[in-house]
Parts: sequence; C-alpha cells; structure tokens
Amino acid sequence: MADTIDIRGHGVVKGYAEGEALVADTTLSFWGEVDAITGKVIGVGHPLEGISLGGRVLVIRSTKGSSGTPMVLNLAQLEGNAPAAFVNVEVDGLAALGCIVNEIPMMTELDRDPFEMIATGDHVVVDADEGVLRVTPRARN
Amino acid sequence: MELTGEQQAVLDGSRGDYLAKCMRWLVEWGEVMGAKRLIKVDNTHALLPVPNLMARGASKETMDQYMADLVEACSHGTHPGCTCTVHAAFVTLDDVDVPENDPEQVQMQKDLAVLAANAGFIPTFTCAPYLVGNVPLKDEILAWTESSAVVYANSILGARTTRHGTESAIAASLLGLVPEFGVLLDENRKGTLRIEVTAELEDPPDWGALGYFAGKAAGLGIPVFNGVRRPSQDEAKQLCAALATSGGVTMCHIAGVTPEAPTIDAAFQGDVPEDYLTFDAETLRETYESLRVRTGDEIDSVILGCPHASINELSKIAALLKGKKVAEGVRLWIDTARGTKGNADRMGYTEIIEAAGGRILCDTCPTNMRIPAKRIVTHGFKQAHYARGMVGAEVIIAKTDACIRAAVAGRWLGDG
Repeated sequence: MADTIDIRGHGVVKGYAEGEALVADTTLSFWGEVDAITGKVIGVGHPLEGISLGGRVLVIRSTKGSSGTPMVLNLAQLEGNAPAAFVNVEVDGLAALGCIVNEIPMMTELDRDPFEMIATGDHVVVDADEGVLRVTPRARN
Repeated sequence: MELTGEQQAVLDGSRGDYLAKCMRWLVEWGEVMGAKRLIKVDNTHALLPVPNLMARGASKETMDQYMADLVEACSHGTHPGCTCTVHAAFVTLDDVDVPENDPEQVQMQKDLAVLAANAGFIPTFTCAPYLVGNVPLKDEILAWTESSAVVYANSILGARTTRHGTESAIAASLLGLVPEFGVLLDENRKGTLRIEVTAELEDPPDWGALGYFAGKAAGLGIPVFNGVRRPSQDEAKQLCAALATSGGVTMCHIAGVTPEAPTIDAAFQGDVPEDYLTFDAETLRETYESLRVRTGDEIDSVILGCPHASINELSKIAALLKGKKVAEGVRLWIDTARGTKGNADRMGYTEIIEAAGGRILCDTCPTNMRIPAKRIVTHGFKQAHYARGMVGAEVIIAKTDACIRAAVAGRWLGDG
C-alpha cells in the first residue's frame, strides 16, 4: 500500500468526490474540445486527446472558458461522463458555474504543486468542504 | 455575499422553486467569484439550444431532462425592462437538405422558440447580437453568453459583462440581477499584457490572427494593443472572436479605440508595463500558417460568417461571387442572423449568392450543426480552430477573397 499524501487547498465549489486522477499541465475548453456525451477529449493535438474525463479527478492548469462549458458539463453529467472533480491552478468562472449547477466539487490554491505531487492514475479523494486532497499514488514497479 | 431582504426571500422560495434555484446559482457563483452583492442587469444574451448532434448517442433520459430544464426556464417571464436576446442554436429553423438538421430537434427548437418568445426572449439566434439591434451603451451592465460577443461588448462598446454560461444568463434574464465581480468593476478592467503591433493589418482575418496570437499569450488576462488603427466593425468582430478562442479573454483594450482607453496609459490605468510582445509581419504569417496544416489542397467546404456575417460582409461576398459558380462538390455556406438575411434578401445579395450555388444559413453554423467536412476554407479563426475537433476537418484560414476563389475552383489556390 503506497503512502497517502494530503494536499491542502481551497474548496471553490464544495462537495466530496473521489476517482482516478487525470493530470496534465495544460488548459482545456469543454466547448469544442470535449465530446459532451462520451466525455472524451476531441481537441486535435490536445495532450489529453482521446482520453475520457468520465469519473476522473481532472488536474489541469485551468479550463478555457466558453459559454458552452456548463452545457457540455450538464450533458456529460446526465450521461454519467463528467469529471468527478476539478483541481485547477487558475479558476475559470464558467467551469465554476458548471460545477455549481452540476454539483461537481472544485479545488484550487493548493499548498503543493499538483503537477509534481499527483500523477495520472493516482487515486484522489477530493474533500472540497474541508479543503483537502488525499492522494494515494498508484502502485509503481 | 450580502443579499437584500427581497433577494433572500426569492432564495428562500417566495417566487417558487425554479427562481429560487436561479437565485442560488447566481449567489453561489458570485461567492466563488468574489462578488459582494447582486446588481441590476439591463441586458442579457442567453443560450436556449436543443443540442442536436452534440447529443448524438445520448439516452432518452438525458434528452428529456435536458429539455425539461429549458422548458421550465421559458415558463417564467424575463425581468421587466431587461433586453434579452438569444444566442445561436445548433439547428437552423429553415428546411435544409442536410441530415444533420435533425427534424425532431428542429421541431423541439421551434417549440422552444415560441415558449422563449412568449417569455420575452427576442429570438435572434445569433452569436453576434450587436449586429442585429442589441447594442448596449458604455458602462451598461450585461449578462451575455458567447465569449466572442462578450469581448466585443466590453472592448468595443465599453459595456460590462463577465462571460456567462447557459444557467447564469437564464437566471439573470429572469431575475434581472447579476453577481458583481470581474470586469463589472473598474479595477478589474486594467490591462495585463502589452502588445505592440507593427504588422500591417489589412483585412478582418488579419485582426483575427492578432486576436489568436494575443489570446494564447494573455490566457485569462486583458491584452492591450498599441499601435493599431481603428478597426472596422467586421475587423473588431474577428479580433474579439479569436481572442476568446485561443484564450479565456473577457476583454481587451485597443489604445485609442476602446471607449475607456483613449491612450495606452488609460488602458493600464496608469501602470504601463515596460515588457511587451510584438506582433510583427512574421508573427502574422506564422499565425495564419498554424491553422493551415493540411495533407492536400482539394476542399469540400467554404464556411464564412464566423461570427455571424454582417450585411457588409454579405455585400462583399455577393460582389465576389457575382456571375461565378461554386465548384461541384463544394459547400459554400455563409452563416448569419435571420435579421441580417432579411436585409440581404431585400438588397439582392441572397439571390446572387444562391445563383452561384452558395447558401445563407440562419440561426446556427455548420460547426454547431456538426456538418461533416474533410477540408474547410474559412475566414474565421474561431471556426478554423474549433472545426478541427468538432467536425474533424482539416482547415485553411484565409481572407474572404481567397476563400471565394477556393470555393469556385474546388481547391485551395493560395492567397492570390
């Protein structure tokens, strides 16, 4: 069992979720770069192209806001393919709105660099009410 | 956030569950964004779309729930005195011979348009409301969806709107309120990135290139352009759309043009940074090339009117097309608002464009509709950027005259 790391931060949108981390130091527009129904990244050349966001704890620099962001999140949520939680360095107002409407927790202002501390595949508990991320690294060889 | 007694009562359900939910969205969003209060909004631009092919493969439960929410929204009247226009849809309400205009979804959108109109929403169905009569005044408080229109309203008109999403714009329309944060406040309208422009900008897509470059560099910040002449309305439209495409920009300043920025000093509120980026002729060329990556020159689509074409653009396109024929197998579509097309009909532009084999498409655009294409020529950086992922096409960004030459030849002929 790998050691668990706690990272403290600010719960922008309150709530609790857990899931497998998907980490990329990049921005992402839900409008145009994510398929609303499958939850897959469709942005050509995007570092996460082809990967499904469904149920993942999405650790990225920020979302790139578009008016369509909440709508895409809404459809993805109804289909069960929205991210479980957002962990962002910069908060984009439209993703925050989408999270509020769809009750998806969002964290920011972490006391450790998320791109150093969290890797894709790690299990992450997001407790945005308490402002804590609990990271269990994926077993490595 | 501090609420008035009346606002608290709405939050507690005095006007029913739906308006209580709308109030909760505005209050929670305001708290996240650092707002201290809700303020009166005079003008909204809301998104009320059926998802069409965006929801291809969605379950019936998803569609039913999605539509029930929109029908519920339209069962309440818009706030008295608030001008409310409607953003572009994902279908056209006209009969068109493409399978992507799903008849079931079109009917749903038509039904929704009636409900929306009864509620007080003006059924403009456009991404450029400022071209069809929604022209706010300086310092007017707005709640607009459509990132490109938001940048235009803030930067060109001097009005004030944060970037809204479906739910916040609906809530603002029904309650007549918005949380006060971001660019609604003077201190948040200060420039963050200085860009000196030395390239000659000759045509609307050149301004799109400037915006595409600057949006990427500015991220969520406020770029300030120095050294450029006053853009035309069509040029400003391209600049603003591109800024909101490559970045999360809410506003920019054009020194000498933006109403609150007569000088670069005013744009930075007296704090002009020494560091700056330069947009020169080489950067202009490279920016075009970044959206021209392709495996061949045969084309199947030429898409103009992103954001929705103005009457001047339709006039120019008609003049370029007069007496010519669009090549076999090429779809030339020009997207615009229904109001603008009404004028084009009367001025004879529609007839010329249709005689050449082109089509004026209202209410939506082919990217929203998810019309399949292999290789698209367009003059809109926004269209070019998104069409790659949303339609899966190769794109070539070009000036309008080169777009029309390509449409007639059936292949990309270069800038000419």
